[in-house]
Amino acid sequence: MKQLPFDTVLIANRGEIAVRIIKTLRKLGLRSAIVYHEVDAGTLAVSMADIAIAISGRTPIAAYLDIAQIIAATHKARAGALHPGYGFLSENVEFAREVMKAGITFVGPAPESIALMGDKIRARNFVQRNGFPVVPSAVEEDDPGTFLSRARAVGAPLLVKPSAGGGGKGMRIVRDLDSLEDAIAQARSEAQRYFGDGRLYVERYVERPRHLEVQVLGDTFGHVVHLFERECSVQRRFQKIIEETPSPSLSSEMRQRLCNAAVGIARAADYRNAGTVEFIFDGVDFYFLEMNTRLQVEHAVTEMITGIDLVAEQIYAAAGFRLGFAQSDIVQKGHAIEVRLCAEAPERGYAPTTGRILMLDYPEGDGVRIDSGILEGQRVTTAFDPLLAKIIVHSPTRIETAQKACRAIRELVLLGCETNASFLARMLADDGFLRGQVHTGYLDENPSLAEGDSGSALPAFLAAAALLTRPVRDSADAVPELHAALGSWRN
Amino acid sequence: MKHCFEIDGIDYPLWLVRCKDGYRLRLDNGVIALLSFSHQGEGRGTLTIAGEREPVRFVIDGETIHLHMRGLTRSLRYRDPMRALASASREANHLMARAPIPGIVVSITISPEQSVSAGTPLMTIESMKLETTIRAPRDGVVSRIHFKEGESFERDALLVSLLEEGI
Repeated sequence: MKQLPFDTVLIANRGEIAVRIIKTLRKLGLRSAIVYHEVDAGTLAVSMADIAIAISGRTPIAAYLDIAQIIAATHKARAGALHPGYGFLSENVEFAREVMKAGITFVGPAPESIALMGDKIRARNFVQRNGFPVVPSAVEEDDPGTFLSRARAVGAPLLVKPSAGGGGKGMRIVRDLDSLEDAIAQARSEAQRYFGDGRLYVERYVERPRHLEVQVLGDTFGHVVHLFERECSVQRRFQKIIEETPSPSLSSEMRQRLCNAAVGIARAADYRNAGTVEFIFDGVDFYFLEMNTRLQVEHAVTEMITGIDLVAEQIYAAAGFRLGFAQSDIVQKGHAIEVRLCAEAPERGYAPTTGRILMLDYPEGDGVRIDSGILEGQRVTTAFDPLLAKIIVHSPTRIETAQKACRAIRELVLLGCETNASFLARMLADDGFLRGQVHTGYLDENPSLAEGDSGSALPAFLAAAALLTRPVRDSADAVPELHAALGSWRN
Repeated sequence: MKHCFEIDGIDYPLWLVRCKDGYRLRLDNGVIALLSFSHQGEGRGTLTIAGEREPVRFVIDGETIHLHMRGLTRSLRYRDPMRALASASREANHLMARAPIPGIVVSITISPEQSVSAGTPLMTIESMKLETTIRAPRDGVVSRIHFKEGESFERDALLVSLLEEGI
C-alpha cells in the first residue's frame, strides 16, 4: 500500500456516500472523521466514523454548507485531507480554495477546474473552443438586452437553465415560444433562490435524448484515463433513477469516440481527480452537456465493471500520486445496473414520503452491492434529498443483470416509510427498458409505469393483516366453531 | 363482526370467520379459504392461503400494519369502527388547505382575518425542488396559518384554516 501524506480524512457529507467513503478509508488504513448536524446523530455514517464532530445551522442543510465550521472541524479532527462527497459543497470553488488555504488536501480537482466546469456557460464555451460538440444555445450575459430574441432564434423546443445550476433545479422545457417569457421569469426566480444567481441560458432541447456520461480520472502529472461510459437515461425531471454500464445504445466505435471526447475535454481542462463528462446522445450525434467535478452518485456501476475503487483513486490523485494504471489496463467486465431506492411515491407524482424505518433487510448475493446510509429506527424526513440506498448489481450480461436487480429490489424489505421499490421493479421488467429503448423522456411518455400496482395481491395482504390484527382475530375466535361453520354455510 | 382496513385512502371491509382448520376471510368480492398464519418471530411469519405458503415480513405500528410479501410492500391501517366515524364528521365542518406533499413554506401571501375567494393563492410551498402555490379551496376568512415561512411540514398537514364568511 502506498504511503499517504495524511492519516485522517474528514468527510464533509452524510448518508450513503459518507458510509461509502469510510469503507475505502478503512481499506486504506486511514482514520475517518465526519461532520454531522444533530438530526443525523444516530445515522450509520456517524457511528462508523472514527471521529464525529457536530456542526450546526439554521437548517440541517445549512450546517453541511457552512465552510468555516467544516474547516474548523477538520483541524479539530487533525485531518490532513477532506473528501466532499457529492452535492453540498463538493462543487463549490470557494470551499475548495478555503480548504487548500487551510493547509488541507482537497480530495477533488483543482479549484480552477471546479470554477471552469461549475459555470455552465464558461464550460460550454471552453468545450466548443476545444473542438468538441455542444448543443445550439443562447447565453443571457452575452447581451442581456437581446436575450429573449436570441433565445427565440435558437428555436423550440428549448430548455431554460440557470447558469449557476445543477441537479435539475430551476430548469424548464419550453415547447411553445409564447410561454418563453413566463418560463424565463420563473426559472430566474428559482435560480436566484437556489444559487443566489439569477443568470440564465437557453439551449435547444434535444427530444428523446439518451443521457450518457464518461467517468474520467486524472493525476497531477497530466495523465487522464476514462473508465468507460454510464447510461442514465431513466430519469424523471432530470433526476436519475436507473444507471448502467455499458450503455446498450452505443456501438463499440461510438463508445470509443465518446470516451475519447471525454478524455480530450478533461485533458484540455488539465483535470486532476475523478470527474464525469456528461453528454446527450440522439442516436447519431452526442453533445457535451456538463462536467461534474466530483464523485457521482452512480459511480458504483463503474467500480463493478472495472474493479477500480474510485474513492481510493481520488485519494491517491489528491495526494499527488501517479495513476497506477494505463488506459489499456482498464477493461469492462460484464454489466452493472444501479437503482436508486428513494423515499418517494411515484404514483403521487414522485412526492417525497416520510416515516420511520421500522424494518430493514437488504438482499444479499454474488454481484449484489448495497450502498446505504440508513438504519432501522431512523426517521426519514424531507430535510435532505430522498435517496435512501443504492442497489447495484453485476452480472455477465445486461438481461441477467436486469433480472437480478429486479429480484434484489423485490427481496428488499423496508417497512415504515413508503419507497419507490415497486416502481423500480416494474421499470427493470419493462419491455422498453429491457430492449434498451429508453430516453430521458421515457417516463413522461409512459406514465403508467409510475401508476402503482395497488390492486395486485390485495386479498393476500388483507388476509395477512386480518390475521395479524388482534381485534379482528379475537372477534373471529369468539364465535364458537360450530356457529362459525353454520354462519358461513348459510351465506 | 365486520372490520375494515384502509390502504392508500380506500376502505376494505372484511369479515374473518373461524373454521375447523383455520380461518376464512369474507371480502366484498368473495371468500378466501383456508387461511392460517404462523409466527417465526422478529416480524417474520408464513401466511398459508388456499394451500400456498407465503413468507411474510411485518411490523405492527399502532393501528398500522406494514407488510412485505410477494415482493411488494404495503401499509394497511386498521380502522376502528367508532373512531373512523368521528374523524369523518370532524373534517366536514372545517374549511382548510392541506399539504398535498411534504415540503417547506417558502412564502405566505395572506394574513389572518383576510377574506379570500376560492382559488386565491394562500402560500407558496417548495417540495422536490419545485414551488407550488396552495390556493383557497373555497371562499372564506383566514382563521389560522399553521406554519411560518421556512418551516417544514408533512403530507396532509393542515396549512391554512378558513372560516366561512358571515359565521
